[in-house]
Amino acid sequence: MRPTENINIRFPKNLQEALRLQAKAGTRGQLLAGGTDLMVQWVSGTPPPRRATSVWNLPELCEIEVRDKDILIGAGVTHAFLVDATPIHRHLPALVAAAGTVGAAQIQARGTLGGNVANASPAGDTAPALLVTDGTVLLASLGGIREVPLTQFWTGYRQIDARPDEIIQAFRLPKKGAARERFRKIGTRKAQAISKIMAASRIRVRKGQIVSAAIALGSIAATPVRLTQVEDFLAGKPLTAKLITDAEQLAQKTVQPIADIRSTAEYRRWVTGRLVRDALENL
Amino acid sequence: MSKAASQPRRLVGHGMIRVDADGKVRGQTRYLNDIRYRNVWHGVVVRSPVARGRFKALTLDPAFDWSRVVVATAEDIPGENVVHMHDRTMPLLGEVGGELLYRGEPVAVVAAKTLKLATEAAGHIRVEVEELPPLLTLQETVDIFKKTPKRFVSMQDKNIVKGDLAKGFAEADEILEAEYWAGHQEQLYIENQGIVVFPQKDGSILAEGSLQCPYFPVNELNDPLQLPPEKIRVRQTPVGGAFGGKEEYPTMLVGYAALPALKSGRPVKITYERHEDILFTPKRHPVWVRYKTGFKKDGTLTAIECDYILDGGAYLTISDVVMFRGILHCALAYRCDNVVIRGRVARTNSMPSGAFRGFGAPQAIWGIESHMDAIAARLGMTPHALRRKLHARAGDTTPTGQVLSKENGATECLNLALERSQFAQKLRQSSRGKLRKGQSKYYGAGLSFFAHGAAFTGDGEAKFQAKGRVELARLEDGRPGVNIRVSSTEMGQGVHTIFTQIAADAFSLDPARIRYPMADTGLVPDSGPTVASRTTMVVGNIVHRASLDLKAQMEAFASLHFFRGEKARLENSQFHAEGRKPLPFGRVAGKMLDELGEASGFFQFKLPADIRWDQDRFRGDSYPGYSWAAHIAEVEIDPITCELEVTRVTAVIDVGRIINPILAAGQVEGGLTQALGYAVMEKMATGKDGLYDASRLQTYIIPTALDTPAYDIQFVEYPYSFAPPGGKGLGELPMDGLAPAIANAVEAAIGKRLRTIPITPESIFDALHDPSGATP
Ligand SMILES: Cc1cc2nc3c(=O)[nH]c(=O)nc-3n(C[C@H](O)[C@H](O)[C@H](O)COP(=O)(O)OP(=O)(O)OC[C@H]3O[C@@H](n4cnc5c(N)ncnc54)[C@H](O)[C@@H]3O)c2cc1C
Repeated sequence: MRPTENINIRFPKNLQEALRLQAKAGTRGQLLAGGTDLMVQWVSGTPPPRRATSVWNLPELCEIEVRDKDILIGAGVTHAFLVDATPIHRHLPALVAAAGTVGAAQIQARGTLGGNVANASPAGDTAPALLVTDGTVLLASLGGIREVPLTQFWTGYRQIDARPDEIIQAFRLPKKGAARERFRKIGTRKAQAISKIMAASRIRVRKGQIVSAAIALGSIAATPVRLTQVEDFLAGKPLTAKLITDAEQLAQKTVQPIADIRSTAEYRRWVTGRLVRDALENL
Repeated sequence: MSKAASQPRRLVGHGMIRVDADGKVRGQTRYLNDIRYRNVWHGVVVRSPVARGRFKALTLDPAFDWSRVVVATAEDIPGENVVHMHDRTMPLLGEVGGELLYRGEPVAVVAAKTLKLATEAAGHIRVEVEELPPLLTLQETVDIFKKTPKRFVSMQDKNIVKGDLAKGFAEADEILEAEYWAGHQEQLYIENQGIVVFPQKDGSILAEGSLQCPYFPVNELNDPLQLPPEKIRVRQTPVGGAFGGKEEYPTMLVGYAALPALKSGRPVKITYERHEDILFTPKRHPVWVRYKTGFKKDGTLTAIECDYILDGGAYLTISDVVMFRGILHCALAYRCDNVVIRGRVARTNSMPSGAFRGFGAPQAIWGIESHMDAIAARLGMTPHALRRKLHARAGDTTPTGQVLSKENGATECLNLALERSQFAQKLRQSSRGKLRKGQSKYYGAGLSFFAHGAAFTGDGEAKFQAKGRVELARLEDGRPGVNIRVSSTEMGQGVHTIFTQIAADAFSLDPARIRYPMADTGLVPDSGPTVASRTTMVVGNIVHRASLDLKAQMEAFASLHFFRGEKARLENSQFHAEGRKPLPFGRVAGKMLDELGEASGFFQFKLPADIRWDQDRFRGDSYPGYSWAAHIAEVEIDPITCELEVTRVTAVIDVGRIINPILAAGQVEGGLTQALGYAVMEKMATGKDGLYDASRLQTYIIPTALDTPAYDIQFVEYPYSFAPPGGKGLGELPMDGLAPAIANAVEAAIGKRLRTIPITPESIFDALHDPSGATP
């Protein structure tokens, strides 16, 4: 007996069909992409649903489109695909690096970007890298597309701003342009590791002056977070050793870390500052 | 006679391919859960919901249909409610009216046609308990031990005394005292625990499952089941890893499954899912060890005083022997005339701790090897100079008074490891808390040196008298061959292969004609449990001698029946006699089987007559032989994040004769990786709810292939000549000494000593930001 044995799974052929299923409570199922989060949850306590709707391999969800200013990445794109998608590497290096740290090869081949985001774990590795792009989530429903900024998408612990009839179709992510990106994950080991903390940054410097700074953390609070106070502090200032130290301390002062089985609040607080320093020293 | 025949082919010393490789690599080997049993019911264990409490009542929900399930409670135990391990305190099932001593203690077993139904039924059983305040952790018991020693509850005490401690401290120029801690460790075999029990028509039972000591259930369940040993038959199914975890625990599982099986007359199978397996099977004992040492300015150790306390959990089970092995390794590897070691097994309200590769020795070596570095630092000596001066060698006397034999690679291990790793130079490059030129990470190199006693402690082997047999048989192709009949179990370590090699060499026979069937207590003599790094040394010798015995019988038979009395010799699978055409093995063996029906060689292991052991005073020859090792670990610590990486490990090891160098190196790499996890990742404690706080693979972190360092593994061979082919213990040793080498390397890297494992980024961070900064 497997807990997943009795789930009725529908396999729509395209997005439209999937949206029709999701539109009505009577046919609606839990969305199932790679299943790498859901399968684990279903065998370890979370009661499996009666119905599921597979979005795995839906053609509309598997596209990547590189445009002028931004890139559209389908929610069904796998981490492995991101790692292999060389045309996006120079535009979204933090996201590609983050995708490359998810689980290990097997999980990357199956797990999707949409699943990572919708699962809404504070430890989702791609979240900070997505957050620093100031991008948006494109939610599809029979009513059309609704676009929500990523910074507003995670509304609470394991909660997202999506209606039951909506499916994440894609992410619209501005290219980094002249900015520098960095991603670091501190895991419990080198692969198959849920992070203790991870940080992504997108910082633009011109002539020794910080033009804009976006810094985001995961595994530190109930949702992935941007360090807005540090970002505001940095913007417009000349990049000096003192600035870096001040930013490090400000980060340590303002962050509100959690404690759990993977790490302590003290360590997370300290290392937050260290990661801010690391980002600024590597521009 | 041909030239080739005069030089028999030798397999011992060569990397013969594993005899079980083919089935395992192809996925054809059938583990317990792959075997399709028909009409087997599934058992589910019902457990205590609290860590400690008075068991008031067990009630079955009247609304549930109980006709389709069988429920066994303590009332269904045919005999005395006890699992007879090393004492008689642990009941097979908790009994109404009695006290439940740990969260998860079994109180009933439910069996039904499907696992689903059994699980459902178990959910309809109410276990009523009046909660009592539990004592959950080693920390709490150590606090009691320090503050109010009289209130400290020890399930077993043992002391080792050598010389005069007071005199030793009086002679000392300096005294150094420090404490070291280590937590639980989970074996994490790939295949979870599982057993199926078949009740037989004559009232006996046959149990089959994943276990490493088939004779344990045979001898430990007689009282509760009211079955004599010959009515409990145990068969091994292929074992997907064990590491000690399937040593004592399967006895309990056989007991749990036997109750509903005997009650219902149906076979009952119990297998655990990973979560249940982690929560409710034994772990490595957490340890607190305190050393107080006296030494002179030149490094001479004048006194070692040591307290060694293990967290035994709620019942003793086998913890006494784990503690014995522990204290025997607390000061084993160094010269010192005045030693007192006090061992204790603390009782806590948690799952009984149990066997795990190393069996108390890794906990001891963790303490002493950290402490030796601390002494060296206090003296201003290098860690290797101190060890070169103090390490035990042939002719030296151990804390129990044993004089070490010449079959001892201690000095060579130490010297070779230092040389291969260029330790002196690496130590000079170590950061000591300040990045040196060219370093982007703190770098450190650390050393450990230690011995591991092979086989049972003291006169265990003398008392046990392990025995084994090899027998002629027709193999599956109908042609004659040899079966090895011992109770040693293959659990991935390669025993089926190395015993095939040993038998092949003893006979001088093609290994393709040798089989090693799975252990079955109905068919094999008791060669003892597959534990204590004793198998190659003790049972390997049994296989060797039994093979020589049968070979001699075959040669006599060949001489009489084929060579007219001319002396015959079996060599390279042929019988030779002076002036005669050689005869193939099969000709002679076939005729022997036809004429005699059966033929076998037998051997019962004996220790040398001059072995002395006093179990009460813990004096004498504590082990028949010792393996030796020196490890060097190199680490890098990221100053940005305190992340620790072990980059390189050099291990030089004397385990006597190497039977199969590839398998031996595999054992060492695997064991070192397990030790790496113990040192830097594997973190588990008893939580406030009485459960282990890391109870899933998601939270209990072990190393992946990416986390393993570069290994430089080198063997030096000082064989145990009393028992050819001369292996000493290998299985446990690689688990013993890497943790302190890493801690010593961490100290070299950041200039602070960490006295608790695992060493994590968080603990390095804490150490670096600890204002007291004390680091002896
Ligand atoms: C061994 C292992 C290791 C792992 N390691 C990591 C790691 O290192 N880092 C990490 O971040 N994660 C890790 N994960 C978690 C998981 O692999 C990732 O979160 C992955 O990206 C999830 O994608 P999926 O397609 O498998 O999601 P699924 O499991 O299919 O779905 C996850 C959630 O997203 C929802 N969903 C999926 N697609 C959509 C959509 N298009 N629109 C709306 N909702 C949707 C589902 O309903 C569900 O709630 C690991 C998992 C395992 C099993």
